[in-house]
Amino acid sequence: MPWELKPDRPIYAQLVEHIEQMILSGVYPPGSRLPSVRDLAKEASVNPNTMQRALAMLEEDGLIITHRTSGRSITEDLEMIRKTRARIARDQVSEFLEKMQKLGFEKEEILSIITEMLKEVRG
Amino acid sequence: MNPILECSGLTKTFGPKKALSDINLRIGQGQIVGLLGPNGSGKTTLIKLANALLTPTAGEIRIAGMKPGLGTKKIVSYLPEKNYLNDWMRVRDIIGMFKDFYEDLSPEKAYDMLKRLNISADDKLKTLSKGTKEKVQLILVMSREARLYLLDEPIGGVDPAARNYILETIISNYNPEATVLISTHLIYDVEKVLDHVIFINEGRLVLSSPVDEIREQGKSVDGLFREVFRC
Amino acid sequence: MLAKLMKYELKATCRIFPPVYAALLVLAAVTRLLYSFNPRGTNNVPLFISALLYLFILIGMFVMTFVVMIQRFYKNLLADEGYLMFTLPVETWKHITSKLLVSVIWNIGSAAAAILSIIILSIDKILSGELKIKIAIDTSGSFNALLLFEFILLCIAGMVFGILIIYASIAWGHLSNRHRIMASIGAFLVLATFSQVMFFCFKVTPLARELQEHGEVYIGPGTPIAMYHWITWFSIAFFILLSALFFAITNYVLNRELNLE
Repeated sequence: MPWELKPDRPIYAQLVEHIEQMILSGVYPPGSRLPSVRDLAKEASVNPNTMQRALAMLEEDGLIITHRTSGRSITEDLEMIRKTRARIARDQVSEFLEKMQKLGFEKEEILSIITEMLKEVRG
Repeated sequence: MNPILECSGLTKTFGPKKALSDINLRIGQGQIVGLLGPNGSGKTTLIKLANALLTPTAGEIRIAGMKPGLGTKKIVSYLPEKNYLNDWMRVRDIIGMFKDFYEDLSPEKAYDMLKRLNISADDKLKTLSKGTKEKVQLILVMSREARLYLLDEPIGGVDPAARNYILETIISNYNPEATVLISTHLIYDVEKVLDHVIFINEGRLVLSSPVDEIREQGKSVDGLFREVFRC
Repeated sequence: MLAKLMKYELKATCRIFPPVYAALLVLAAVTRLLYSFNPRGTNNVPLFISALLYLFILIGMFVMTFVVMIQRFYKNLLADEGYLMFTLPVETWKHITSKLLVSVIWNIGSAAAAILSIIILSIDKILSGELKIKIAIDTSGSFNALLLFEFILLCIAGMVFGILIIYASIAWGHLSNRHRIMASIGAFLVLATFSQVMFFCFKVTPLARELQEHGEVYIGPGTPIAMYHWITWFSIAFFILLSALFFAITNYVLNRELNLE
């Protein structure tokens, strides 16, 4: 996935989100080894300090583990990943709902639009 | 930790013109810093002072605690806006010359970068195009294991592909004991690589801030710059 | 570091002089040969051309030596290349010294080439003994090694003086923001005048003393050899002192007042 970074939000926050997505979508499967900070920074075209900060946050959240001698890897704690997945989903939906409500949509309307569009979406 | 670059009350005047007034600054190690400002704001003057190409009119500038001189020249790697290559050498000759004078120059790195950029080491400097000469200068600067890299408009006259390569090189060269100071007015391209930015205008320090702080306010550095320097 | 600087300075200039030296010597030889085929001949056009070319190259060589000296100093230190040179971890005085020494080398080279070419031109007269080379002959009529040594020292001191006064003028003139060439010429006039005044003071003193002691000053075949030594060593000292001054001026300007475009 290309690293798309918006200019008006802190980069480290966007990096955290991007890596979370990669974990959830299976690009970085549980237990797999992460590239070095420098390589990741190069890939994302960002400052290694910023990438470092993002990785530190992910470690705090428990998604990444740092091994003293062998770099970083994704957690094998599937429960943790599941919880993260749920959190992201709720964040996305709540953002969406807020927007829709600001536009004046009622709950039933929102639900029917979603149901209709889901029929059109594959999978 | 000691700052790698420190200015106190730094002032430089050229006759009646005040190029820099009372600059106070501290930049730490392991940072990539943007020195941003419109043309003529004093960016180049500040960098020249750091290189001992100019002497302060008042105040001080110190690099790793030393006044600019022999000791600082050994640990500073400078990329000027100008083209400083002579016209009688070949590319390999100038790498050899840099190796002769700078202990920290890594010829392997230099040749590697030349290969990646498709520049032949046997080319005569005078036959190279302007863009290629700029790339050669960049290679010479980035092949050094310096403590402070001063890049004056490194991406200005270069095509977008080369621009990316330059930013990539800066990132991959990153080392926690070195600091890179990039002076530019092309902020948009460079901002995601910066830890910290310094805004300078008419010789005065306008702002010095970590990039994250700016973005946490919902602005890009480019956006803030336009706000601050609105004509 | 100084040796390294000189290495690169020599590399930068070594393609220029040797070919000219070679051409000079070849033309001297050619002229000599053409003359010997037709010593008293009139309408000897090839000889005329050859001699003219030789003269042309001879003069050109000296002009070139002078011009290259100025150009190397200006181009390598005060133009864009200065950004490279002055960020090298090398003291400023080493930059000045390396250029000075290399200029001296090429000056000596040109002088040697000229002398050699003249020897070639008059080779037969020398070999037959018709033309004796008299140098360093003292009042007793014999060769005096000390005089020769002094003479060479004087020439070198004079060379160094001449080079450094030009470097100082270029550096000083460079401080002006506009019309740098005029400013450098102006600086040169100031420094040259200053040198003249100093020389006058220097020269006047021993001569004045001579006058006091002997009631007269006389420099000619009968003059005691000591007088020659006096004047020579005084001149050498004069050149050395002023050279040191010009070196200091150049060093100061490049160190403290440098402002590359």
